[in-house]
Amino acid sequence: MKLLLTIAWRNILRHKGKSLVIGAILFTGAFLMTLGNGVVSGMARGIEKNVINGFMGDIVVISAKQKSDNVLLNMMGTSIEPVTDYKLIKPALAASPLVERWLPAGKNMAMLLDENSDAPGFAYLLGVDFAEYRKMFPGNFEVIEGSYPAPGERALLIPSFARDEFYNYYNIWYLPEGGRLVKANLKKEALERLDTLVLSSSVVMMGMSGGMNTTSDIRFPVRGIVRYGALNQIFGHFCLVDIESYRECLGYFTAADMSAQVTKEEKALLSLEGGGLDSLFGGDELEAAAPAAPRRLTERSRAADPADGVYNAVFIKLKPGVPYKKAVKELNAALKAAGADARAVTWNKAAGPMGSMTLIIRSALFIFVLLLFSVAVIIIVNTLTMAAMERASEIGMMRAVGAQKPFIGGMFLGETAILSAVFGGAGILAGVLAVELIPLLKISTTNDMLQLLYGGDIFRPMLDLYGVALAVFQLGVVTVLAALYPMKVAAGITPLEAIARD
Amino acid sequence: MNIIEIKNLKKDYPLGKTIVPALRGVDLEVAEGEFMSIIGPSGSGKTTLLNVIGCIDQATAGSVKIAGSEITALDDRAVTDIRLHKIGFIFQTFNLIPVLDVLENIEFPLLLMKRPAAEARKRAEKLAAEVGLSEYVRHRPAELSGGQRQRVAIARALVTGPDIVLADEPTANLDSVTGASILELMREMNEVEKTTFVFSTHDAAVLKYARRIVRIKDGLIEKEPVAA
Ligand SMILES: Nc1ncnc2c1ncn2[C@@H]1O[C@H](COP(=O)(O)OP(=O)(O)O)[C@@H](O)[C@H]1O
Ligand SMILES: [Mg+2]
Repeated sequence: MKLLLTIAWRNILRHKGKSLVIGAILFTGAFLMTLGNGVVSGMARGIEKNVINGFMGDIVVISAKQKSDNVLLNMMGTSIEPVTDYKLIKPALAASPLVERWLPAGKNMAMLLDENSDAPGFAYLLGVDFAEYRKMFPGNFEVIEGSYPAPGERALLIPSFARDEFYNYYNIWYLPEGGRLVKANLKKEALERLDTLVLSSSVVMMGMSGGMNTTSDIRFPVRGIVRYGALNQIFGHFCLVDIESYRECLGYFTAADMSAQVTKEEKALLSLEGGGLDSLFGGDELEAAAPAAPRRLTERSRAADPADGVYNAVFIKLKPGVPYKKAVKELNAALKAAGADARAVTWNKAAGPMGSMTLIIRSALFIFVLLLFSVAVIIIVNTLTMAAMERASEIGMMRAVGAQKPFIGGMFLGETAILSAVFGGAGILAGVLAVELIPLLKISTTNDMLQLLYGGDIFRPMLDLYGVALAVFQLGVVTVLAALYPMKVAAGITPLEAIARD
Repeated sequence: MNIIEIKNLKKDYPLGKTIVPALRGVDLEVAEGEFMSIIGPSGSGKTTLLNVIGCIDQATAGSVKIAGSEITALDDRAVTDIRLHKIGFIFQTFNLIPVLDVLENIEFPLLLMKRPAAEARKRAEKLAAEVGLSEYVRHRPAELSGGQRQRVAIARALVTGPDIVLADEPTANLDSVTGASILELMREMNEVEKTTFVFSTHDAAVLKYARRIVRIKDGLIEKEPVAA
């Protein structure tokens, strides 16, 4: 063993040029690989943190009737089953020692109805109690225009991202009621056509809920424009509305319905009172889709307890350090015991593509690393194989004087392993160093695409022991793969190569 | 006792679609402790014969016994083992390991045999002294002359105490004076270590060093004896 490594080491020194080429490749490969691992881990951690703390908590309780767990970000907008027995769920959550806090919410799509456009657009609605929402997700967004709704107020908050989208679609620029145009927040295209810009402070939406419910179109007053601190591109799809308006929009039983026992039919009649908007829809096809006229939201349901009505999901924040598996298991047991027709799922399942995005980016990185490795392995294999053939006479002599094949193979593996340990090791160290240093640079971005890569507003790659171990393992695989073929070639050199033929 | 016993040894080389018969039925016996030379013109089969005896090449037909055991049907591992333990090689091209110094080159086979490092070192030093290289033990092959390298090769060939040392034209790449000293050394070592030496040459001037001479021509051994 010592002999083998001595020869390997001295051959490295003897063929400095080749060793440096292989070393440089190993260094670069190991460095990029480690950094890549760090970036992806940081991204995954960032997304996780932002999603949990700013958007949906750790666990989501959904209706047991819900087929797919993916309720939050299924962009095709399949409607979500209503959760009708929050009254049973609430005490179960309150009694659970694992739960820190929770927030019941409505979530579904709504059709944006507008007189000026040919086809309706869509918006995602999140119906919440604004006061509770702020307690659940403090500081997750900033109100950049208008104000945060007062408790119980009927209002709509539009994220800047959604406002931009609405503008793209309708050419309408939404402003909070009584708000003024803030040029800094305006889209560039809108800024260029300022004189013809259509402004509006209310949105007419009609809930889209699959099947049985009759939905209504509701005119929502825009109370504020918000901007999420991180991942506005994703979270910004969701307009926040007060839960009662949400329910009316979706045709769910509102808390007011529950307390007043108003029948659905009566309610439909009521909602016709506002009247007159039918004329706005010139197209025949829309008339069928919008049978009821929108009306101003009234304050009539204020007195009722919102908890009485229908939701779509309950977002749950767990106490720190509670493992998801355990939480899901225990919460499901508690829900069952309470007789609630609901189940608990983890955020990454509920977030669907968002939850698997880290997996997708991981896979992308994996492919990148694989390509990197392939190139590295090919170059190393070439260089070493050539080295083996150049040393054929020397290797043949070793075989002639009694070295077995594994000894010759070991010599080449030894050379690669030493180069790998020295240069690859240095590459990993440099990668770790880079990962540790980058957060100190405090690179931050408001660019939405970059935020996705950063997993938040600050670029903070991160490596745990697992990440470093992974890098070492990957390096080991490269080493063995790169050495395998040259080893075979070298071991295949016969002692006859030692003999000079005339 | 015969250390080498060869019967009806044949070796064919495939050359394209034809076959080149390099050895065409060689019978040869070499007694323990002999200092024997195989002489023949270029292409007569000397190298081929030594290669087969040295387990470097395989016979096409016939029998080769080294120290009583048949070597023609062994696998690579076993044959390598015989090379390590029973045979020493001296090559025409002074083949040494370039990254090892003189002592390390000499002790190389001992380390392959997993002998303790200290013991191997001691034995290598002794042989380095015997071949007159005590002052050069820390030199690498590139820093030595051809004659000095061949002395290292002799020491390495002898270090394991093999049954036979085979040398294929060991002086062909040396000037005549150096070549003569190498042959002197080999004969000396043959006397000191009692090791059997078989070396080949195409140079009749070298023959005076041999105690027994075997002539080979067109792959066949000519009638013996030709006393030296
Ligand atoms: N690898 C080979 N392939 C084909 N023919 C070979 C090979 N090696 C040797 N020969 C032929 O075998 C014969 C004997 O060669 P060799 O043993 O090298 O003779 P010597 O060492 O006496 O010069 C020659 O005719 C040579 O051309
Ligand atoms: Mg020859």
